[in-house]
Amino acid sequence: MMRCALHLFLAPLLLLASVQAVAAEAPKPEQVQSDISTREISIQSNFTGIDIVLFGSIDFSGTLSPEEGPYDAIMTVRGPNRPIVVRKKVRIAGVWTNGPSKTFPSVPGFYAVLASRPFRAIAPKDTLRKLGIGFSNLDFGKSAGGDGADDGFRASLIRLQQEHRLFQESDDAVSFIGRSLFKGSIDLPVNVPIGRYTTQVFLFRDAKLLNQSQSSLQVDKVGLERAVYTLAFRHSLAYGLLAVLMAVTAGLLAYAFFHRRD
Amino acid sequence: MFQVYLPIAEISVNLLVMLGLGAAIGFLSGMFGVGGGFLLTPLLMFSGIPPAIAVATGANQIVASSVSGALVQWRRGNIDFRMGWVLIVGGIAGAVGGVLLVGLLNRLGHADVFISLVYVIFLGIIGSLMLVESLRAVWRTRSGMAATGRKPGEHTWIHRLPLKMRFQRSRLYISAIPPLILGTVVGLLAAVLGVGGGFIVVPAMIYLLRVPTHVVVGTSLFQIIFITAVVTVLYAVLNHSLDILLALLLVIGGVVGGQFGAKAGQRLKGEQLRLLLAVMVLAVSIRLLIGLVVAPDDLYSLAPLTAGS
Repeated sequence: MMRCALHLFLAPLLLLASVQAVAAEAPKPEQVQSDISTREISIQSNFTGIDIVLFGSIDFSGTLSPEEGPYDAIMTVRGPNRPIVVRKKVRIAGVWTNGPSKTFPSVPGFYAVLASRPFRAIAPKDTLRKLGIGFSNLDFGKSAGGDGADDGFRASLIRLQQEHRLFQESDDAVSFIGRSLFKGSIDLPVNVPIGRYTTQVFLFRDAKLLNQSQSSLQVDKVGLERAVYTLAFRHSLAYGLLAVLMAVTAGLLAYAFFHRRD
Repeated sequence: MFQVYLPIAEISVNLLVMLGLGAAIGFLSGMFGVGGGFLLTPLLMFSGIPPAIAVATGANQIVASSVSGALVQWRRGNIDFRMGWVLIVGGIAGAVGGVLLVGLLNRLGHADVFISLVYVIFLGIIGSLMLVESLRAVWRTRSGMAATGRKPGEHTWIHRLPLKMRFQRSRLYISAIPPLILGTVVGLLAAVLGVGGGFIVVPAMIYLLRVPTHVVVGTSLFQIIFITAVVTVLYAVLNHSLDILLALLLVIGGVVGGQFGAKAGQRLKGEQLRLLLAVMVLAVSIRLLIGLVVAPDDLYSLAPLTAGS
């Protein structure tokens, strides 16, 4: 289904790109534009994660064939920030329990970097740091707790987020399709947080940032999932009573069906 | 296929697995005549449901099974309502305390270990006692000896406490303090473990309060309805850790499984049932203990920061 949508989407873009290439006679500075295959992601009961495709197109592309490949592209997807506690287990009286912890006030709920080749080779360290590209360049805010010097907490936070597939770095995930069109696909796992996501597309040439483009997408619970979630958090008393009512009804029905003659 | 996204647990589970789990617990509880919460909550935790959600949702499931169970007992006139209400008053106090305690420990990051630890201790003790008792009973029936009964009307220190109340159905005139305390303990356990607490109430009523055996199960089921209902609502309001979709799946499975369990239970002898149950309780306890003492694969864990911590 996604593939089909992709082709429909690509056709006019390719056309547009070639028209622009003819029009551009004198070399103009390259501009990048981007879009996302799915701007609204709905989480409902059959949600098991979703693949989204990010497209970028280069206006005034100075290349004649995709093989020539003077351009590099990096794409990032960033979910809403939230505070996260990282805890380290220690052994107390033979039992493993949570010991020291460190709190990071603003950790992106989702973060992915896609690149047309290993992104650390695309641009120098300083540029990447300035643009906040890559796990090591993420700012989680001023952390509280822990023993300061030990950065095991930050490294573990990144590692665990990666294990939960909430942090992803994938080189070679962006591919150039035509002279001026490229795409990258990201797999949003089932546990993605809800909220507004921002996507950024950076275009590089010879390790220099030429242009960037930004767009956003929204992840929301819909239908029954949304109703339950809203009820549980906004009207929690009604939600609890509803759960009890459901259980009592089930118990009464069970009695009526199976135990009447006991 | 059959994956269902749980809105509060925020994970995707297999519909059939959860229905099956509910049915298995329903089967066991129908067979043994117990609530099954002490097996359900650990099994939910083993299948990846966060402990706080497993406890709250487990309590909700028990409401359903105890309603149908209590109705059966009520029709047979086996509920001492007065005793039940006294237990409930104590139970509500205990439940509030328990839910607040779990909420606090959850914010501090100790809830998982605490719940597991309390489980290991209680299941370990109860499982061992049941194992010894049922092995003795099996041995007694083998050797053809009659079970020794307790002397009726025997007085203990419990009968000398003040605040005496007449419990007609139980044919008792005792202080309200022991049932109140018993209720409180059960409420606390119900809240921390997501269980009905029948495994504590039933023996305590028989051995400590000397309530006649035929009244014990009905009265216990009656008070369990209210305690678990209160625990469910408290978790929903204070901790937001109740997943109604998961509860619904477990309830449906449980109702169906319970009917088959009750039929299967009639074919087994009492002491054999208790032996089987004891083995299962001990197995769950050991599994939880292993989880606590074996060095974890990953020393670090993440948790979203919740308000108030």
